Amino acid sequence: MTPEDLLLLEQVVSARRERTADGAIKSHPAWHDLDDAGRAAAFDETVRQRALERALDAAGQSSTIKAVLARLR
Amino acid sequence: MQGELDQLALISAGDAAAFGRWASSVESSLRGTLRPFAARCDTEVVMQEALLRVWQVAPRFVHDGRPNALLRFAVITARNVAFTELRKVAATPTDGDALQRALEAQGEVAPGTPDPHLRTAIGRCREKLPKQPAMALGARLDTPDDDHALAASVRMSLNTFLQNVTRARRFLADCLKKAGIDLDLELAP
Repeated sequence: MTPEDLLLLEQVVSARRERTADGAIKSHPAWHDLDDAGRAAAFDETVRQRALERALDAAGQSSTIKAVLARLR
Repeated sequence: MQGELDQLALISAGDAAAFGRWASSVESSLRGTLRPFAARCDTEVVMQEALLRVWQVAPRFVHDGRPNALLRFAVITARNVAFTELRKVAATPTDGDALQRALEAQGEVAPGTPDPHLRTAIGRCREKLPKQPAMALGARLDTPDDDHALAASVRMSLNTFLQNVTRARRFLADCLKKAGIDLDLELAP
């Protein structure tokens, strides 16, 4: 994986996603710039990252869960 | 089973904290079912959208008497969302048969169980992180802002911030390995 691909992957691993005006969640622009292998690698890294986040968070919540809960309030 | 019914009652009544506990307990299992979609659509979008839909449907959800009913519903919901996402990125050719085979090969899903030993080990490794990776990872963990804002908050360029997050994750994985913990094995279904 090239250094450029690693930067793209790191952006995709984030749980932050933009939304459309009607509230739909948009795919990350960096995801579209990765090839299939990069997307699969991003998925695997996300699985590990969320496990780390759950372990490090006092409430056991990953950034994905926090993003979802923020939408409920 | 009674615990699951109690939890579902709270969620159905609009208890967001209960929903958060449930969602945290099933996140790893649910995400794992999306592996066949990983190269085809942004599965983070699928995860968040599916969980939001589960929350919206929960007040009308009827338990079928079998274990993990809400999780099984979430898996179906996530697949439906994933197929919708696939249609949005239809420029990418998709081998529908291969995808279907991969989905059919998946077994029953169950919530994960938190491992207190793993939690302690990860916490210890985090304390050993070098300063710059620790700052970058801390920003990612503590704030839901976009990466540009997070990088600015720790006075790094975007690329340096992203590189430091990568370094932090690798450092943690190596530290865990030295402690005899293989994160991939721990996360294996």
